[in-house]
Amino acid sequence: MTSDTSAEMALTGLRVLEVGTNVSAPFAAKLLADYGADVVKIEQPATGDPARRHGPFPDQEPHPERSALFLALNTSKRSLTLDLDTPSGQAVFRALAATADAIVENTKPGTMEARGLSWGSLVESNPKLVMTSVTPFGQTGPYATYEGPNLVEFATGGQMHMTGSPDREPLKNGGYMSDHQAGLNAFSATAIATLGASLHGEGEHVDVGAMQCQASVLEGAMPYWCYLGTDSSMRRGNIMASFIGIYPCADGQIGIHAMASNWLPLLETIGMPELGDDPRFATQAARIENNDELMGIFYAWAAGQNKKEVYARAGETRGPIAYVHDMQDLMDSPQLQSRGFLQTIDHPETGPLTYVGPPFQMSETPARFGRAPLLGEHTVTILTEAGFDQTRIDELRGEGVI
Amino acid sequence: MSKQLPLEGIRVADLTMVWAGPYATRLLGDMGAEVIKIESVQVWDQLRGLGSLPPETERRYNKSAYFNHNNRNKYGATLNLRHPRGKELFLELVKQCDVVMENYRAEVMDRLGLHYEALRTVNPDIIMVSMPGHGKTGPERDYVAYGTNVEQLAGVVSLTGYEGEQPQKTGISFGDPMAGTAAAGAVALALHYRNRTGRGQYIDLAQREALSAFVGEQMVGYSMSQETPGPRGNKHPFHAPHGVYPCQSRDEEDDPWVAIACESDAQFVALCAVIGEADLATDPRFATEADRYRNQETLAAPIAAWTQGRDKMAAMEELQAAGVPAGAVLSVQDLTASPQLRARGFWESVSDPDAGTWEMEGPAWVLTSNPAHVRLPAPNFGEHNQYVFGELLGQSAAELAALEAAGVIGTEPDMGRHT
Repeated sequence: MTSDTSAEMALTGLRVLEVGTNVSAPFAAKLLADYGADVVKIEQPATGDPARRHGPFPDQEPHPERSALFLALNTSKRSLTLDLDTPSGQAVFRALAATADAIVENTKPGTMEARGLSWGSLVESNPKLVMTSVTPFGQTGPYATYEGPNLVEFATGGQMHMTGSPDREPLKNGGYMSDHQAGLNAFSATAIATLGASLHGEGEHVDVGAMQCQASVLEGAMPYWCYLGTDSSMRRGNIMASFIGIYPCADGQIGIHAMASNWLPLLETIGMPELGDDPRFATQAARIENNDELMGIFYAWAAGQNKKEVYARAGETRGPIAYVHDMQDLMDSPQLQSRGFLQTIDHPETGPLTYVGPPFQMSETPARFGRAPLLGEHTVTILTEAGFDQTRIDELRGEGVI
Repeated sequence: MSKQLPLEGIRVADLTMVWAGPYATRLLGDMGAEVIKIESVQVWDQLRGLGSLPPETERRYNKSAYFNHNNRNKYGATLNLRHPRGKELFLELVKQCDVVMENYRAEVMDRLGLHYEALRTVNPDIIMVSMPGHGKTGPERDYVAYGTNVEQLAGVVSLTGYEGEQPQKTGISFGDPMAGTAAAGAVALALHYRNRTGRGQYIDLAQREALSAFVGEQMVGYSMSQETPGPRGNKHPFHAPHGVYPCQSRDEEDDPWVAIACESDAQFVALCAVIGEADLATDPRFATEADRYRNQETLAAPIAAWTQGRDKMAAMEELQAAGVPAGAVLSVQDLTASPQLRARGFWESVSDPDAGTWEMEGPAWVLTSNPAHVRLPAPNFGEHNQYVFGELLGQSAAELAALEAAGVIGTEPDMGRHT
């Protein structure tokens, strides 16, 4: 990877406006920015993105420039403060949108229209404009204006019903995974729609709803229900079958995921090659038949194991085993270190911290790792680039619009 | 002239199988790309064998719903890449493609002699995407990593589970579709660059890294404090109440829950009013967000007392009408019946010559001025051999017959595999 920030990146020249708060739209725009787009993040004057108040913070001391959530989700962007609820702010936005390639936003459906900033009105002066709206339920339908934070998205998207133990309450994934999921969808949808605009000359309003993003990826459960009328979506805890499950070990958890072809390598990894001759476990069907016995064997074996030793042995023997990595394991991972995945990014308010890297590596156009912007750090630069003179900028500041 | 879908005119040769890769190419197909899925008689997508259908079902491999959902909007051809003639034909096809995608284990394409350098020799601006579990480089590149392993490696599982207990797997092999979603974006990024410069490139997507992009704030937080976060159930870091509450069962099979997530004082006051506990709104134990967070366990009983007497959908609707963030926990059955998804036209009828007619989910993303749809059912095995090898590559009928006789192409998979 090159560290030359002037190098041509995948999205060099793509101009993006982000009207985003918290996770979904900011994550989408962060990915666009890391791969080279010029992302102008529009924040409310004085308060900024609520993610700035989220944390965690160094020494647990809240500070708008030191929130881990904000820092992680806003790399490589520029920050413009602009009050979009004022006519002057809306006029500035329209000027910026006239030369933008894309807008990524996660306001409640109807908000951009109420501000006179709908895609339909903006595209009149910029026919190739793409707007991606990422929301819990999408722009239309009876739930369009329902409140849908991450937990509610997990509930209504179908993933939560499938997560956790069958005799206990359903679980969301840790962190803000549904918001990230929606944001990742919005990233790819925006990349595709802006490509389409440049290939075919017409923009688009892309409506990404978290509910549909989740309902699309319920593994076999949705296809089987749709086609056969059998519902297999009930949650099954940590063990799908004895050979697909998470087992506690001496210093953590080991995950086994064996297809039929991995049975013998699995036995070699766990040091029980003799089970290869055991008729109770001779085929995948027999292993399901004798599930509880096999599960008992795996539980007893795992309890005495060290996760990193097992993983190394699995690598040598091609056993289908990994272990549950926590943040420290990610930090220490020889694989991630070798690939340069984790990045150290310096920041004037926090000093250097460790960040996760890009979701994929591009041979000709590596991603960049710019820090998150301070609130309004680029307001004057961006307005000047857009042709506003100092007098007008001072007026806007006087009105509290920037 | 009707508006074009964004990826119309882009052709993708798709060697991916199972879920992560096919989900990527499904998204590309949904958005208008011409996706040509390549399997072979010897090496076919094992989802064809996972249809939950009786083994004696005729042409079972064309009727797997699992396969058919993941591979709609694609053509399908068969080609044995281990056969010299198969390799030649593949390289001929690559000349006519914009993108090649594969999700074999790291060393497989190298062993076949179909690595990026080989593809670039026949098509200098080709874009190639590899998406193995660990990536193409590094000491763990050849380690096996299937479905559930990826989220374990990514850091996601360490954060998921009941508070203070062992980490839990998530409901799906979460790493697969997220890697697929990222890969669809990767293709678009590479096409942006090729559009501007005329140059192709190689993309190395490690599924575990693509999913680790979701633990960004946890990693930054860890590097601030060196404290390793663990499972926290359904709790939020500081909002409360924030959890799921039992509802009234419709029948014995029912597992009814509603999620409630208050993020402001106003939402909490509204919740108290809806559940008929207005006193809680003025109770000093719940006066501020910090108070509610500290005493959140105390709120579980009065909320559950209200939800228990209600249908989960009615509870969601009543709470949302009052401005309280709430969502019924929906099963696949609930989703196909959902008034929201019905209103949005998400479910589309699909007809396949072998599998029949049924409804499946439409494209995940709505293009508001030019909606995308399921244009093609998933390919039956080898269904488009004539299109790919005859029409695109100019092979005669006699040549196709000879290829079939030599086992280079075919229309029936060797079902002895994947058992």
